[in-house]
Amino acid sequence: MNDLHYRFPPASAYRLNRCLFAMKSDPEFLSRYLADPKTAAAEMKLSEDESRDLLAANRDAMVARGAHPYLVFMASLRVRMEREPSQFEYF
Amino acid sequence: MLVGAFAVAHTPQLLARPDTEDRDLVLRVHAAFARVKRRLAELRPDAIAMIAGDHIEAFFLSGVPAFAVYAGTECAGTFGHYRYRFPIHEPLARGILEQGIERGFDLFYTQDAPLDYAFYVPLHFTMSSPAVPLVPLHVNVYLPPQPTPRRCHDWGTALGEILRARPERIVLMASGGMSHYPGTDRYASPDLEWDRRTLELLTEGRGRELAAVTGEELDKAGNVELRTWITLLGAVGPARAEVYCYEPSWHHGNAIAEWPL
Repeated sequence: MNDLHYRFPPASAYRLNRCLFAMKSDPEFLSRYLADPKTAAAEMKLSEDESRDLLAANRDAMVARGAHPYLVFMASLRVRMEREPSQFEYF
Repeated sequence: MLVGAFAVAHTPQLLARPDTEDRDLVLRVHAAFARVKRRLAELRPDAIAMIAGDHIEAFFLSGVPAFAVYAGTECAGTFGHYRYRFPIHEPLARGILEQGIERGFDLFYTQDAPLDYAFYVPLHFTMSSPAVPLVPLHVNVYLPPQPTPRRCHDWGTALGEILRARPERIVLMASGGMSHYPGTDRYASPDLEWDRRTLELLTEGRGRELAAVTGEELDKAGNVELRTWITLLGAVGPARAEVYCYEPSWHHGNAIAEWPL
């Protein structure tokens, strides 16, 4: 089952997944993240390595640590929607 | 009674279109949504029971239900600058929950969970004003181990029986699919052939065959969300699908279909 696209989220990646979840689903946390990513990552108690991968938007490294690919995808889309709102057409 | 059944895409890029997306394609999918909206006006539902795969939005890792029923009085959510709120058809939600449990499905329920964009995107384009009350029905599609396609089909069969026995005019809508692989290396190569084969099967009224697909095959085909359609297929039985659109983008097979009942 290791070749599945979506795998069981290991407990070791819980904090990283919780942080990605907050970025996609908690608008207040996303604002804090956009204002000061490092402090927001520390608020979520990420390790130094997790924080570095998150700030660098290093998807492969995060997924290798057990981050859920969908959470990585949507957290990054939400960041883009906030940082570059004019790049979107809203219906 | 069950008066209508639809399956719809919910790609967020249909709502907030980034410059990476083909505008004409997006507008063609909107036109198919408009057709659903016209059909809903003809069908005059008292309630829409809507099955959607949870995008780890209503339920994070504090609790991961296989199947859930939203049984509050209203439900609300946000996506970017979109803020939305819909009334819930509480008697129907309770009926589905109680009778589902009686039939052996150990359903989870909530009166307080955010409404995912998997519900909102199709409703943005198809919901009338004032809104028809909803019953959101969640399926775990993204957090393994997910319910098997067989179990989804069985739950859909029971759901169909429950809905047919109700006094209200009910439309069943499944939101999700088709092939896409968000956040993975395969994002830019959706399995369009798998989608096309599956749509052909559905237009022939052979939806039951999808109950035999494995969870592993759905994952491989980028169709983990098709569990929502498979649930609906249990409810509509051998009805033949009418495909309103299949619009594959560079990353997503956008499909909209109706099962005329």
